[in-house]
Amino acid sequence: MSKRILVIEDQEDLRGVLRDLLTGSGYAVLEAADGEAGVASAKSEHPDLILMDIQMPVLDGYEATRRIKADPALKPIPIVAVSSFAMKGDEEKARAAGCDHYVTKPYSPMQLLKVIKGFVP
Amino acid sequence: MPPEAILRPNGDVFDYLAHFGFVPEYRACMEARQIPTGPGSLAGRALVHAKPVQITDVLRDPDFTLPKAAKIGGQRTILGDPLLREGTPIGVITLQRKTVQPFEDKQIELLTTFADQAIIAIENTRLFEEVQARTRELAKTIDHLEFASRHKSQFVANMSHELRTPLAASLGYAELMQEGFYGPPDQKSLDALTRIRASGKHLLGLINTVLDIAKIESDQFTLNMADYTIESMVETVRSAAGSLAQDKQLALKTDVAKSLPVGLGDELRLTQVLLNLVGNAIKFTDAGEVWVAATAANGHFTITVADTGPGIPEAHLARIFEQFRQVDSSNTKAKGGTGLGLAIAREIVEMHGGRLWVDSTLGKGSTFEMELPIRAEFHKRVP
Repeated sequence: MSKRILVIEDQEDLRGVLRDLLTGSGYAVLEAADGEAGVASAKSEHPDLILMDIQMPVLDGYEATRRIKADPALKPIPIVAVSSFAMKGDEEKARAAGCDHYVTKPYSPMQLLKVIKGFVP
Repeated sequence: MPPEAILRPNGDVFDYLAHFGFVPEYRACMEARQIPTGPGSLAGRALVHAKPVQITDVLRDPDFTLPKAAKIGGQRTILGDPLLREGTPIGVITLQRKTVQPFEDKQIELLTTFADQAIIAIENTRLFEEVQARTRELAKTIDHLEFASRHKSQFVANMSHELRTPLAASLGYAELMQEGFYGPPDQKSLDALTRIRASGKHLLGLINTVLDIAKIESDQFTLNMADYTIESMVETVRSAAGSLAQDKQLALKTDVAKSLPVGLGDELRLTQVLLNLVGNAIKFTDAGEVWVAATAANGHFTITVADTGPGIPEAHLARIFEQFRQVDSSNTKAKGGTGLGLAIAREIVEMHGGRLWVDSTLGKGSTFEMELPIRAEFHKRVP
């Protein structure tokens, strides 16, 4: 069975790119359009990896990551943060929230795929 | 001390500016009926003659039109002296006696001296108030301008961010197509996709430039200070700009002094500065070479970017670091660019406590030189 990746991203266009990238690379893709829906999906679906946008409505990526990492059953799931702001301290904040890796937008899909393969071959 | 008053003409009547020694009944009477500016009143007469006027007995002066009021005030002999500002009366000062007793010349002279002093004091006060009012107005205008400018910068910052998301999606899809995610592309499609990606990256660079300016202007631009080496910075720039130089058949030479000390600064931003300088040099040079040199002395790095390009006219040297400036707009069309790069470069260098300047000889080339503290500190921008 193919590995499942949960994409938490509010921009449909960017979800589309990730959907095509990941399904085309043999992964199954789950999607959520905000942090709260993302946390709920993580709890019910137990994906193998989470791609987490930082800037999102309802619940941002930092808080969503904290909630997921606070759940002992979900804690081992690797979370790759994808942030649009290459601002000072963002990477530290993402890592402090519990993200396992940090990628800045705009990313090259192929480079992101490499990072993902590093966690979920 | 006899009763006295200072009056100011206001159209056809006088306003009381100050008075002293009036009995309450007289005060009420005078406040109820205003004093006319014509020769019927003492003040009016002083105004007309523009010199001291004395009425020896108000009850026996046929032209005096205010005998009733004078009776209430208990006046008999009254003296009025106009306050003249550059020959124009702006007020009248009056003295009153309860008995018929003409004022002597000496006393009139004394009043005139006092009137002269008073006019200076009044004039100073007026000027001071005017200056204060102007200053308040100016402060208000500056406040509005600053607010508008911050608002604009914030808007541009948000807008640039909004522009990047759809652009990132376009670039992402182009890359997936190129990588064959939607079936193997033929050579023509591959070429077109390469162009789409190159244009998209160019556009992204322009948006980032605008975003930088907006961040600088809204004071959101900060530096990430960390250790860096000049060697790796120059190497990054060399590999990024190498193909540009090759395309134009220019030699890109680097000359970094041996064993330079480790620097402290924002490596990403300093690389951006150096890349901008080298990129400009390549862009504006059609033949010859571009070289980058780096040395260290007295706690500072000196980094030089020189070219064999057309040079910059002296009249333009100071202005090229201003926003939106290129030597002329035909250049912008021919060479591209936003005219923002050098403005940002100078801001970044100055935020490190360094300096960036240029020397140029028309027809020979330009040399940009940057002096940078080796262990820099963040210097808040002074707008």
